[in-house]
Amino acid sequence: MSRIVVTGIGVISAIGNTVAENRTALQEGKCGITSLSLFPSRYAGLMPFGEIKITTQELQERLNAKEPGVTRTSLLALHAFVEAIQDSKLSDKDMRCFDTALIGASTVGGMCLTDELYSDANKSDKGSDYLASYDFASVNIYLQERYKMAGIVNTINTACSSSANAIMYGVRLIKSGRAKRAIVGGVDCLAKFTINGFNALHILSPDICTPFDEQRKGLNLGEGAAFLVLEKEEDAKDKKIYAVVSGYCNCNDSFHPSSLSDEGDGPYLSMKGALESANLSAGDISFINAHGTATENNDMVESKAMLRLFDTIPSFASTKSNTGHTLGAAGAIEAVYSILNLTYQEIYPGLNCKEPIAATGLLPVQTYQKRALQHIMSNSFGFGGNCTSLIFSTI
Amino acid sequence: METAALKEQLKKQIVEFLNLLSVKPEDIKDDEPLFGEGLGLDSIDSLELIVLLGREYGIDIKDPKEGRKILVDVNTMVAYIEKHRTK
Amino acid sequence: MLYIHQSTCISAQQTFLDVDINTLHEAVDNKLKVIEPTYESIPPGILRRMGKVVRIGIGAALPLIRQATSLDGFIIGTANGGMEDCIKFLNQIIQYEEGVLTPGSFVQSTPNAIAGQLGLFTKNKGYNITHVHRGLAFENAIIDAIMLLTDHPGNNYLLGAVDEISAYNYNIEMLSGWYKKEPATCKELYQTNSIGSIAGESAVAFLINGDQANAVAQIVAVDHIHTSDISIIENQLKYLLQHYLLAGEKIDILLSGENGDNRLLKYYAAIENITADTTVARFKHMTGEYATASAFAVWLACELFQTQHIPAHIVKNQTSEKSIKNILIYNNYKGAQHSFILLKKEN
Repeated sequence: MSRIVVTGIGVISAIGNTVAENRTALQEGKCGITSLSLFPSRYAGLMPFGEIKITTQELQERLNAKEPGVTRTSLLALHAFVEAIQDSKLSDKDMRCFDTALIGASTVGGMCLTDELYSDANKSDKGSDYLASYDFASVNIYLQERYKMAGIVNTINTACSSSANAIMYGVRLIKSGRAKRAIVGGVDCLAKFTINGFNALHILSPDICTPFDEQRKGLNLGEGAAFLVLEKEEDAKDKKIYAVVSGYCNCNDSFHPSSLSDEGDGPYLSMKGALESANLSAGDISFINAHGTATENNDMVESKAMLRLFDTIPSFASTKSNTGHTLGAAGAIEAVYSILNLTYQEIYPGLNCKEPIAATGLLPVQTYQKRALQHIMSNSFGFGGNCTSLIFSTI
Repeated sequence: METAALKEQLKKQIVEFLNLLSVKPEDIKDDEPLFGEGLGLDSIDSLELIVLLGREYGIDIKDPKEGRKILVDVNTMVAYIEKHRTK
Repeated sequence: MLYIHQSTCISAQQTFLDVDINTLHEAVDNKLKVIEPTYESIPPGILRRMGKVVRIGIGAALPLIRQATSLDGFIIGTANGGMEDCIKFLNQIIQYEEGVLTPGSFVQSTPNAIAGQLGLFTKNKGYNITHVHRGLAFENAIIDAIMLLTDHPGNNYLLGAVDEISAYNYNIEMLSGWYKKEPATCKELYQTNSIGSIAGESAVAFLINGDQANAVAQIVAVDHIHTSDISIIENQLKYLLQHYLLAGEKIDILLSGENGDNRLLKYYAAIENITADTTVARFKHMTGEYATASAFAVWLACELFQTQHIPAHIVKNQTSEKSIKNILIYNNYKGAQHSFILLKKEN
C-alpha cells in the first residue's frame, strides 16, 4: 500500500508564529509561558499561560479575515492552515476539488467567547454576531467556506488527543480512497471555560510547568494551532516531502473520566498499537515527543507505560514546557515538532526538569542535539481515557 | 450550631451537592468512610466537597492533598468545620 | 461493508423497549424531549454524575452492549455533547467570577464524555472516538465505521449519535431563527409555512460489524456535502444512485429530513424530483430538529425494514404498497450541511 506523506506544515504557538520561528525557539530552548497580557481572566496574575501575543484584531487584519462572527480560535487555525497549504503549494483548484479533505480538531471551538456565549444562551431578545460560532465545528466550517472546499470535512473532539486523532483520520481517509489529500490539524485558544475547568480539577501549576520533574505542580494552558498536508507518496513526486506518517493507534484507558490508570494501560496500548501499525519494534524508535503535561498523574503514568514498553527508553521530552498545553491543538503542534526533528535530524531540550521522578528515574533530553533520527513517536492522551500515539518516519 | 445539628446539615449538603441519588442523608453514618468502600466517592467528589466547604463554610483548602485528611468521614469534616469555619 | 445487527433509540417517541411508533407523542412548548427510561442497570454511583446527554447515550447503548459477544470500540457522533453541563459550568464561571468551581460539570461537558464513559463502563480499551462536525457528526461517524470495518471485517463496534436540548442551545438556535417563534405542533409541522422548526433530541445506538448473516440492514453508502447550491446536491444524489443501486433496483422510500422550515423546502423538493415515483416519508415531526437527527432516521429505516409497515403519520405521499428494500435518507442541516445515507434491507 502506498505510504502517506507530509507535504506541508504550518504552526502558530506561544513560541512563534511560523514553522521557522517555532524551530528557532525550540533550538534555543525558549519558553513561551508567561503571565497573561491579552486574555482577560481572574487568573491573569496568578499563573502563567502559553499565550500568543497577537491580539484578535491584529490577527483579523493580518489574515484579512474580518467576517462578522469570526473567533480567535478560527483565526489561529486560519493562520496555521494558510502556512501549511502554501508550504504544500496547493492551488485554488486543489483546495476546491471534491477529494481534498479537511479534518480538524478543537475542544474549545467558539467557547472562547465565554461572556458572549453566556449572554446569547441566557437572553432572548437579540443575539450577538457569534450565534453560529460557538460549536466545535465552527472553525472548520469557517475554513471550508473561505476556501470553498468540496471534500469531506470533519471535526473531532477527543479532548487533549483530538488533533492526533484528526491526523490519524486523515491518513485513513486517503488510504481508503475517500480523499486524495487531507489537510489535518487542530486548534484551541485560551478560554475561561478551560482555564476554570482545569483549575477546578486542581491541575494548573502556579509556576512554569516542569514536565517529568519530581516536584512538578501541574500544567500550564496554552493556545495555538497546527495543520499538516497529507498526500500519497506517489502523488507527491514533485513535492518536498517532510516525513511519512508510518504508524498510529487510538485506544481507551477506560479507567477514570479525568485521570489515567496507575499502570498506564491506555498509553501503553496506544504506543504498542502504533508500533504494530508501523511494523516497527520498540527498539526502532529514535525519540518520543511525550504527552508530558507536567501533571502528577500524566507524567508518572506515561513514564511507567514507557518503561513497560521499551527495554531501553529512547530519548524523550515534552514540548509543553515550551508552549504550554494547547489541548485540541497539542497533537498537531507536536506532530509538526516531530517532523522538524526528522527533517533537521535534531532534538530539542525539554525544559525545567531538574529532578527526575524518583519512582522512574527518567530524565527528558536536557540539551539541543544533532542526532540521526529515523522514527519518532508522538503521544497524546486526553480526558475520557482517549489515548492516541502517532509515528512519523524519515522518507 | 450544635455538633449534632451540624452533622445533620452537612449530610444533607453532601447528598445534594454530589447528587447521591440512592442515599438518604440520615443513612450516612458519622464514621462511614466517604471514599473507597463506604460511600464510594472518588477524586472528583473530593474536589467537589472542597468547593462545598468553601461555599457553605468559608473554608479555603488550597491543596487537595490536605483535603484528603479532612475528608475522611463526617466526623472529621465536622471537626474541621467547627475549628476553621469563617461563616 | 457496514451491517447493522441491532439498534436502539431513546427519543421523544416510544422507540425504546416496547416500540410503538404508530402513536405520535406531541411536542410541549415546541420541544420534543426524550422519554427517559429508568436506567436500572446503571449503578446509582455512576448515574448521579451523568448529565442528560451522557445518560441517554449510555442508556441507549447498554442493551446492545449486553447482547454483543465482543466489542472492539465506540464511534460516537454528537454536535455538542453535554450542553446542559456546559452551561452549568459557564454559569458558575460568571456567577462566582471565576472563583472556586466544581469540576464535575466541566468533566461531563466535554463531548467525548459519552464515548469515554462507555469505554469506562464496559472496561473496553479499544477504538474510541467522538465526531462533532455539527449536522454531519453522525455521517462522519458512519464513514469512520465503514473504514474500520473495511480494515477489520471481523470486528464489532458500537456506532451511536446523541444530542440534547438544553437551555443553552435552545436560546441560541431560537435567536438564530432555527426554531419557530410561534407555537407549533408535530401534527401540523409541515403545514406551518414559516421559518424554523421545533427542537429535538435523541440517543441512537447501533451494533455493527462486517458480517451479513443475520443483519437487519446494510449502510450501502453515505455521502455529505456543505453547500447551498441545489444543483451540486442534485448531482451528488444522481451519482450516488448510479453507483450504489444495482441495475433494476430503485429506492422504495425516501426518508426526508423536511422540518417545517419553509426556507429549506426547495432542497427537499429538488430531491423528491429526482426520486420521483418513490414513497416519501418524513420523521422530523417525531424528533424535532437537531444536529444528529439523521441517526434517528437510520434507526427508523431499520424499523421499517423489519416491520415492513409504514406508520400513516410519516407518509408524505405513497406511490405503491410493495416491500421495503432500499431506503434513502436525505437530511439537510440549516440549509448548509447535506447528507445522503443509503440503506438496504438484509434478511
